Amino acid sequence: MICSIKNPAARRFVVRMWVAAGLCVVFAVLAALVFRLGHPHGVVAYLVAVLPALPIMGALVGTGVYLGEEKDEFQRNLLVQSLLGGTGVTLAATTAWGYMEDFARAPHLSLTWVYPAFWLFAGISYGVVWWRYR
Amino acid sequence: MKNRLRVLRAERDWSQADLAERLEVSRQSVNAIETGKFDPSLPLAFKLARLFETTIEEIFSDEE
Repeated sequence: MICSIKNPAARRFVVRMWVAAGLCVVFAVLAALVFRLGHPHGVVAYLVAVLPALPIMGALVGTGVYLGEEKDEFQRNLLVQSLLGGTGVTLAATTAWGYMEDFARAPHLSLTWVYPAFWLFAGISYGVVWWRYR
Repeated sequence: MKNRLRVLRAERDWSQADLAERLEVSRQSVNAIETGKFDPSLPLAFKLARLFETTIEEIFSDEE
């Protein structure tokens, strides 16, 4: 699938995203094992807990690098609009959920869902933007 | 922004994919520019003008 992407910048972007997603899963499993077996405390607990977030930060940096590398301004424009859409909907949805938690006792939602929600909304946004330009 | 890309392309018997390859952009980019849904940057407009051996004004007009 990755080999079929002709644009070199887009191919590197997809590879980076897959590597980051893989590392995130590995680090999440690793952190879960450490907490189950080792019961870390204090600073060590924070450092182990933050491990799965590191590849996510890397993926965000990788997205920025792709925007710098992409020579096709139209494709760059599509992604920028999608990211803005994803950011806006995620902010709106998480803020709305926060108020529902505070006032209406809605079930607590872990903040770890914000990142996948962002990409879900960005993906939907990409489809909408692409459809507008088709 | 209106443009004459489709005409210029047809005169050379180029497909959108051919033009995209020459410009080093995606076919979707060419389609979006050709249909007036996406306005190219100045560097890309110059690239188009050089490719078709004409001026930017001969390709694009600022009529809506």
